Amino acid sequence: MDDFLQTYGFLIATMLQAGLLGLSLYFPLQAGQLSLASPGFYAVGGYAAAIMLTNPAFAGLRDTLGNGMFPLTWLAGAVLGGLLGVIVGVPALRLRGIYLALATIAFVEILRVVALNLTVTGGAVGIFGIPQAFGFQDRWQYIFLFLPLLLLTLLFARQLERSRVGRALRAIREDELAADAMGVPPTQYKVLAFVIGAVLAGLVGAMSAPFLNTWNAKQGTFDASITILAAVLIGGSRNIWGPVVGGALLAAVPEVLRFLADWRLVINGLVLVVASLYLPQGIVGALERLGRPRPPQRPTSAPVSAAEVKS
Amino acid sequence: MEFSQFVQNLLNGLAIGSVYAIFALGYTLVFSILGIINFAHGAVFTLGAYFTYTLVVGEFSNNGLLKGVALFPDGSPLSGNPLTFALATLLGAAGAGLIAVLIERLAFRPMRSRGADPLLALVSSLGVALVIVNLIQLLVGAEIYNFPSDAYGETPPALSFTLGGKIVIIRTVQVIIFAVSLVMLAVLGYVIGRTKIGKALRAVAENPTTASLLGISVDRFIVITFFLSGFVGGLAGTLVGTAFGVAGPYFGVTYGLKGLAVIVLGGLGSIPGAVLGGLVIGLAEAFVPAEYSAYKDAVAFALLFVILLVRPQGLLGRAAIQKV
Repeated sequence: MDDFLQTYGFLIATMLQAGLLGLSLYFPLQAGQLSLASPGFYAVGGYAAAIMLTNPAFAGLRDTLGNGMFPLTWLAGAVLGGLLGVIVGVPALRLRGIYLALATIAFVEILRVVALNLTVTGGAVGIFGIPQAFGFQDRWQYIFLFLPLLLLTLLFARQLERSRVGRALRAIREDELAADAMGVPPTQYKVLAFVIGAVLAGLVGAMSAPFLNTWNAKQGTFDASITILAAVLIGGSRNIWGPVVGGALLAAVPEVLRFLADWRLVINGLVLVVASLYLPQGIVGALERLGRPRPPQRPTSAPVSAAEVKS
Repeated sequence: MEFSQFVQNLLNGLAIGSVYAIFALGYTLVFSILGIINFAHGAVFTLGAYFTYTLVVGEFSNNGLLKGVALFPDGSPLSGNPLTFALATLLGAAGAGLIAVLIERLAFRPMRSRGADPLLALVSSLGVALVIVNLIQLLVGAEIYNFPSDAYGETPPALSFTLGGKIVIIRTVQVIIFAVSLVMLAVLGYVIGRTKIGKALRAVAENPTTASLLGISVDRFIVITFFLSGFVGGLAGTLVGTAFGVAGPYFGVTYGLKGLAVIVLGGLGSIPGAVLGGLVIGLAEAFVPAEYSAYKDAVAFALLFVILLVRPQGLLGRAAIQKV
């Protein structure tokens, strides 16, 4: 077991972390909102933790709290993520579809440029020498942080889905206007789902800063947004297990392909192309369909899209 | 700001803005026809620059791959001739156009025939971008390549004039960029606005089903769109490459993102909008005061964010009709 963890523990921790980030994007997606802002909140949470754990300004607090400092950084990451989520979410969620996606890309890019130029974030170099959480000796020990958080998040997501709020979110995803007409206020629920995702991303960021030991502007980039989005879509965006499976899988691909050396990023790209072409429902969606009896064949008349009927 | 400084910024802004404009045209053409954003457009931009470089210099220092493929190697009677360079640029852009067609064939068409979620097209095009960028890195390395200084022949490196006692300098390459962009925009505007091909393209953009009922081969026009899109993208790549050097495989990434800001600012799917958006962002960047120049890269996205909140359809876009 020990050998196993020494060899694969870090990979498992990375996979769990990627699953968590996938879930942070899944919450707004549950309400039909494509947000690519997760890496922004993740970066802010990580910066909060990195600054609190290394900046001389917090030295006194660190001495008093000892290991209690780490939960405090998680709280800070989550709260900052949530606050930022409200600030960005309230105006941005008036937008739909690709426009919301582009607005959140803009948000992430602005944050990145700001982080690159502030002194407190360490500029282009970033912050390094972040102490290990609770004096962990090995990186795989972060499994003890990421796994419980993942389980809690899944439990929360499951409860949310079954609650009134979850049904409201699904109603908005299926048809916002109809939901509105039925008395479900779309804006409030959309912001709520967005903020839940932001809190989660901020929290994961705060846990990841010690995990990665160093934190810089590369943590929150457009590339990161895309990696997370790809994970969710490849895993499946309609089921809570989709983001987890997708995140874990995409985090594992580069490691598994290590023997391909320089070619693995090329293969990574091909995986994205092939998966989006042949697994339109994501892996979890495809598995679900396998387990279910085939739906009755539809009549083979020419397909007419709903939009055309309506217009 | 002094007047001479103002004119200087204006000229710089127009030059870079016109590159943004023609680059963004490629995005907006594809969006207007297919309603998807081709995230591989930045990679096509990079390829355009690399293709031209290959034709002109034909040798990459990294591993000697592509050695001797130059059409116009150093010392040949044609090298150092502006016309030769122009020809290489056009060929490079055409190569980028063909790659864009290939991308359509491999990454978009299979999806279109199944009516898949446009989000998946986005991921698929990102996968393509990842493949292209990393293939470049594997094949020719991550170095910066500079076009030979005599690419334009005997033209002076910079033009200058005095204005109110201060000298305003504009680099020749900036003038060329501006001129080429204007010509390109005029040609494209003519093709789309006045020719039969353009008419068919607009019909496909308006409603593919009706267009196909009218006997327009939709697939063929999608191929034409992708070729045009890749052509202008690749052309922009060479233009920027001549001004700043071809800065490695990730050369196009920033342009790819800024291009998004440009087309949304101007209005998604609007061709005049892409031009206006490009010029606005180019000028806005040129007028960022020197002490804040580190924040220059955020200007485009700040503008994008603001315009989305104030006028989501962009400066020249039509408001989306709410379907009930």
